[in-house]
Amino acid sequence: MPKRSFRYTWRAIWMAAEMTFKHTMNDGFVIFTILIQPLIISLLGLWMLGAKGSQYIMFVVVGSGLTGLWSGLLFISGNSINVERWSGTLETLVGVPTSLPVIVFGKNLANVIQSLISMIVAYFLAGLLFGYTLSIAQPVLFFISLVLTIVAFISFGLIIAPIFVMNPAVQQWQNAMEFPVYILAGFMFPVALLPNWTTPLSYLLPPYWAARALHGTASANAPLEQTLAAWGLMLLDSAICLLIARFLFRKMLVKARADATLDME
Amino acid sequence: MKAIEVNHLKRIYRAQIGVLRRSIKEVVAVEDVSFEVEKGELFGLLGPNGAGKTTTVKMLTTLLIPTGGSASVMGYDVVKNAKDVQRRIGFIFGGERGLYWRLSGLDNLRYFASLYQVDPEVSKKRIPYLLDLVGLLDRGSEKVGGYSRGMKQRLHVARTLLHDPEVLFLDEPTIGLDPVGAREFRQVIRNLQSENKTILLTTHYMFEADALCQRIAVIDQGRIVALDTPANLKRFVSDLSVIEIEMYGVALTALDQIRALPFVAAVTVENRDQKQSLLVQSPRGAEAVPDIMTRLSGQRVGKVIVREPTLEDAYVRLVGGDHHA
Repeated sequence: MPKRSFRYTWRAIWMAAEMTFKHTMNDGFVIFTILIQPLIISLLGLWMLGAKGSQYIMFVVVGSGLTGLWSGLLFISGNSINVERWSGTLETLVGVPTSLPVIVFGKNLANVIQSLISMIVAYFLAGLLFGYTLSIAQPVLFFISLVLTIVAFISFGLIIAPIFVMNPAVQQWQNAMEFPVYILAGFMFPVALLPNWTTPLSYLLPPYWAARALHGTASANAPLEQTLAAWGLMLLDSAICLLIARFLFRKMLVKARADATLDME
Repeated sequence: MKAIEVNHLKRIYRAQIGVLRRSIKEVVAVEDVSFEVEKGELFGLLGPNGAGKTTTVKMLTTLLIPTGGSASVMGYDVVKNAKDVQRRIGFIFGGERGLYWRLSGLDNLRYFASLYQVDPEVSKKRIPYLLDLVGLLDRGSEKVGGYSRGMKQRLHVARTLLHDPEVLFLDEPTIGLDPVGAREFRQVIRNLQSENKTILLTTHYMFEADALCQRIAVIDQGRIVALDTPANLKRFVSDLSVIEIEMYGVALTALDQIRALPFVAAVTVENRDQKQSLLVQSPRGAEAVPDIMTRLSGQRVGKVIVREPTLEDAYVRLVGGDHHA
């Protein structure tokens, strides 16, 4: 029975991902968030750091890709439950035997993977527009870092969505939450440039460890111990996020069923 | 074991009102509702807007937590065993919402089949079968956004049958459908009943309930005011006749005067395009017409018919004549 249950869970995740991908790929807001905005950021970065050499260019490519990941997570995954609620599909999703966190996990998987387009676009932009020949310093470790980054971002997204549902006042700050994470997670420049008191805040963010692992393996030959430490802490942060998300989802669903707010018609 | 058991179910909505001096306003949607539905029965829940029908269905489908009382579906408590209930039920809420409009009908069904944990091999055969059942086999690959309201309703039926549930909750499923679409939909409901599904149907349309339901509970202001077969409910008004008067504008004072007549049991007004139908229930039948017409003097009156009462008339008497059916 557990094996059967596991199979159904994975099928639900993949199907939620496939349908989210189909549903959002012709959405103008999604295209702006995961494509246009990171494109602008990477253009700015390439112009500013272009003269410093390919090592910096790779930093810009990975960094602007991460901005697309974070913006997609904040605005698309963060709103995923609210969008379902306003379109009347949340009741249907809550009324099925598959649990809502599993469905949202699948939706976040699609959002995070399609947000990676921004990194690919930045890579080709650097090559085609600026004529750089870019190579990844540690390709295997970079690929593993990328997979762990997807897990970390999905886990982080699972916290954001129920918080936004339960606290509309927090969601009003959604726009203001975009750039601080760009800075605190070290997407476009190292956090060492920031005041010391900000460092603990960075450590709490899974995107910080993702950025550290990706930058370290893409543009610099970071020591293996440093990469392993980033992976470990990324996984630890992700596990903590999943535990918090489990609690938040349970609380959100009980509250929504008690307050009759599953549907907002 | 009954398919559905409802014991003194209660639901209060609480809303915060005011800005500076905040207070909690309580609205009792379901006061005290109890009923049982047998396996394979098609059970109707009738009532005016705001009577508590949809709230009752949402509690039974695990989407709302009751404030009091208890309910079970196929022996599982709707609060404590919500997932067990969800595996055994299907539900439709009237209207076009609840589907993904940017996805095709086929993709909607594939998605929900996975969420209802239908075996992939089973869903491969079941999805085309269901699309065919609801007449959408040729349109399955089109986006739902391009479907008519009736097609969306039929897709909802297919969605809710994906996991072959034992119990179906249909909350005003024909609302907004054109007459042909509504008739086709009623045939789908009959077919489901012939497959021995237990069905709880809420509707505004009395003839629909009369034609489909084996038993009907009439709910008003959060309480069951009558529960019986359609034939027995009609007997409730067998001592009455209905005087149906076609009018072009009805003065409220005239309505009050007619209601005050000692031989009048209930008065309702139905709007029909530019005209109205004044429905007066009275044990005196045709003999009551002259007195009623006197109260309507000076107003434009069309045809006057005296007829036998229908289920709708029984309903009007049960929930009071103030509700416009």
